[in-house]
Amino acid sequence: MERFTELVVAAVLLAGLYATMAYGLGIIYGVLRIVNLNHGGVIMAGAYLGWVMHERLGIDPYLSIPIVMVFSFLLGILVYRVLVRHLPRGAAGGVQSLLLLFGVWLVLRNVAYLLFTGNDQTIRTEYSTRSIVAFGLALSVNRVAVFVIAVLMLIALHLFLTRTFTGKAIRAVAQNADSCTLVGVDVERIYALTFAIGTALAGLAGLLGAMLFSFNPSYGSSDLLKSFVIVVLGGLGSVVGTAAASLILALVEVFAILALPAYLTGAVGFVLLVLVLVIRPGGLFGQRVLG
Amino acid sequence: MSILRTESLSKRFGGLKAVDAVDLELEEGEILGVIGPNGAGKTTLFSMIAGSIPPTSGKVVLESQVISGASARRAVRAGVVRTHQIVRPFQNLTVLENVMVGAIYGKARPRGARERALEILEFCGLRDRAPQLPGGLTLAGRKRLELARALATEPRVLLLDEVIAGVNPAEAVQMADLIRSVREKRGLSIILIEHVMPAVMRLSDRVVVLDAGKKIAEGKPQQVVSDPRVVAAYLGESASAAARVQPGTGTAPTPASGSGPASHPTPPSHPTPAASPPSRGGKGPGGGA
Amino acid sequence: MKLLPHWVSRSALAALVVALAIGAVLPSLFGWSVYTRNQVTETMLFVAAALAWNWMGGYLGQVSFGHSAMFGIGGFISARLLLAVHVPFWSAWIVGGVVAALYALLWGHPTLRLRGPYFSIATIGVGEATRLVMTYWEDLTGGSSGLSLRIVPGLKSELYYWGLALLALVIGASYALRKSTFGLGLLAIKSDVDAAGDVGISPTLMQDVVLLLSGFTVGLTGAFYASYQSYIEPGDMFGFDRSISFVLMAVIGGVGTIIGPALGAVIFVILRQYLIASYPQLYLGIYGVLLIVVILFEPLGMVGLAYRIARRLHLLRPDTEAKLEMKAAVGGAAASPEVREGGGG
Repeated sequence: MERFTELVVAAVLLAGLYATMAYGLGIIYGVLRIVNLNHGGVIMAGAYLGWVMHERLGIDPYLSIPIVMVFSFLLGILVYRVLVRHLPRGAAGGVQSLLLLFGVWLVLRNVAYLLFTGNDQTIRTEYSTRSIVAFGLALSVNRVAVFVIAVLMLIALHLFLTRTFTGKAIRAVAQNADSCTLVGVDVERIYALTFAIGTALAGLAGLLGAMLFSFNPSYGSSDLLKSFVIVVLGGLGSVVGTAAASLILALVEVFAILALPAYLTGAVGFVLLVLVLVIRPGGLFGQRVLG
Repeated sequence: MSILRTESLSKRFGGLKAVDAVDLELEEGEILGVIGPNGAGKTTLFSMIAGSIPPTSGKVVLESQVISGASARRAVRAGVVRTHQIVRPFQNLTVLENVMVGAIYGKARPRGARERALEILEFCGLRDRAPQLPGGLTLAGRKRLELARALATEPRVLLLDEVIAGVNPAEAVQMADLIRSVREKRGLSIILIEHVMPAVMRLSDRVVVLDAGKKIAEGKPQQVVSDPRVVAAYLGESASAAARVQPGTGTAPTPASGSGPASHPTPPSHPTPAASPPSRGGKGPGGGA
Repeated sequence: MKLLPHWVSRSALAALVVALAIGAVLPSLFGWSVYTRNQVTETMLFVAAALAWNWMGGYLGQVSFGHSAMFGIGGFISARLLLAVHVPFWSAWIVGGVVAALYALLWGHPTLRLRGPYFSIATIGVGEATRLVMTYWEDLTGGSSGLSLRIVPGLKSELYYWGLALLALVIGASYALRKSTFGLGLLAIKSDVDAAGDVGISPTLMQDVVLLLSGFTVGLTGAFYASYQSYIEPGDMFGFDRSISFVLMAVIGGVGTIIGPALGAVIFVILRQYLIASYPQLYLGIYGVLLIVVILFEPLGMVGLAYRIARRLHLLRPDTEAKLEMKAAVGGAAASPEVREGGGG
């Protein structure tokens, strides 16, 4: 029984990270109808950025969160303005934007490889091995911290989207971009902003993930797939939906470790993705809106 | 002898009944018009007859063969083909290739497809456009292309979804002539959905009226159009009452299930203004008189 | 005497035969070193694989990021067979290809219900899941240590001619798929799958055929590669990088054309050779940049670029120019129905 609780708690803590990650992908898709195949690349970049600042500048990773997010945000603006902006929206742009962002991911991967070599890295702080006791269980400090930060971020995001003017504008554009143009919303700016927010979330997820897992320049493809699973399962933009789907995925993963031999657990996410995509085909995307 | 009929055909989308137990009969060589306000379920009806979507209940019978519930391909092979309300040409293929696709795959007859396609293009007045891409055609041209492609599948029954709406008056007349010659020269039976009332009146042998998924009237064009129920469907209840008071239209409403025409003391010689009702959904009838 | 279907152009067929003949004598004619000949063999192999990928990615319009799954299966099945039984290597290749084809059908048939980006992402999942499972399926793949085949003296030089034959077949098949009535149907499906169904095409059936063909051929090239290298391991054969390479070769070269993937493969091999000494990983980054450039500026990739230059330099006849305009309008990864909406009202 204790083992069971342990696993469930582990899944819940992991779900926080997954939700943040997935939201980054989902918000871009919900508003721009673009699948950001560079999602994994930014996650990887966020991890390395945190690592660099820790290794070279001695900044505690949690303190570097704002820096990483700002950097990722600016990266998102850059990618959008220079590249993505030129593609047609919607179905026509589908495969094109996929390939374009994939190209960006390749470039990021290469840059990371050149700068940091292909070796696995980790972020190790003096509290990395510490744990706190809660619910009668010993929980790793990092896992709890990651969870707390992720939840705070999602709450902040939810408030932003529902309480601020810009946030509402973003949701409006997700529903009907043309009408927004008619009422004076600068849709292009919203697109750029949303893309940047999604990228910032990915960067944050990368940094947080680096606190828990090791990484290398090829890091990020499984995160991309997991994010996609969550977005399809949980709907777009609905924070509750994203949270629920993240939890489901985390639970499946955590319990799969029990049932399956070690090497197959990596495949769980992928198999789930294919199943989810086939059983709930892409048409479901278009019907969900932010909010 | 009816070539195509639907028996209590229905389609439900979640809680919404888009088409509600519609019985339709198409005689061989007939042109049957289907009209009704926007959202009445006309295109959904077509989609079911053409096999694009399966009915929730009821069936479609072509001669004695049940064709509903199978794929669009099976319907095409059996001899029923539809055009689309918003034209969908294959943008990546030339005009000729578009029609060739129909010629090849309609009845799985690749031989001589090119020649047959050319002949059909000639028939539809698009011969000189053969090597062009559909993007270079006007809307009227693309509608003809849609028609040509459907014809290439060698159908027995042709379902035309608003092929006239949206083009200018001169083109509308040409289109109507084309449709007539399709019936006459190629021996097809045709069901057409149309909002351009004068066209429907002139082309159709009979007309069926749908409203909110149900068939509410059926009969010869003149009678149907002055039927108070039909007027009510388009214009609302008060207008129907007004229509009832007018001479020449004051007979009892034709029951929806009936096929006999109501008798009018003085049938209008050509469609009255009530014949061009604004659609409830907000989309006006295209073209002019 | 009508031996050939009407869509086969006499001149194209003749050109292929001539090219084949020339290819056969090239090594001796120019006195190629063993190294050069092997490089060409490997290039021909990749061209074949890229062309086969293109049948799905370019002709059908469904971009797969998971084709390494078939490459790997073809390779390992063939290698296992050769290690177990004494059969001529080409028969083992065919077995590998067949198994790969069936695998492609298995995952591809349900997944092709998805359109565009959703299908592509699913293929990433398929590719990676296959890799993970295969890496640990030691009985088949030998785990991370891989499989070593018996080194047969003189095999590599023989493989040059086999590669030539394979390439000729794949080019012929590409041509056939493109020009035949089947190819017309594929293009219609790529253009508007629902409208295609409405005029009598069965998209699922045709997609399945393309899956089988593409899967078989890529599997065959995997088997060829195994015989050529004499050593294969799952991380490489089933790797994401391997899948990516097919996409890159075809898209950067010019998706949807025949010369395109060939060009892309040649560039790929050259680049890799050039950089393998100093920066082995750099070519992915360069390819990333090229991919971006292609998507943004030239849907027909290098081939399109070449045409543009030729046009600029007035090297083309007017009717060729017109045909190319049209090709550019309908070809390429960037082409899709909505984008091309034009014409009068």
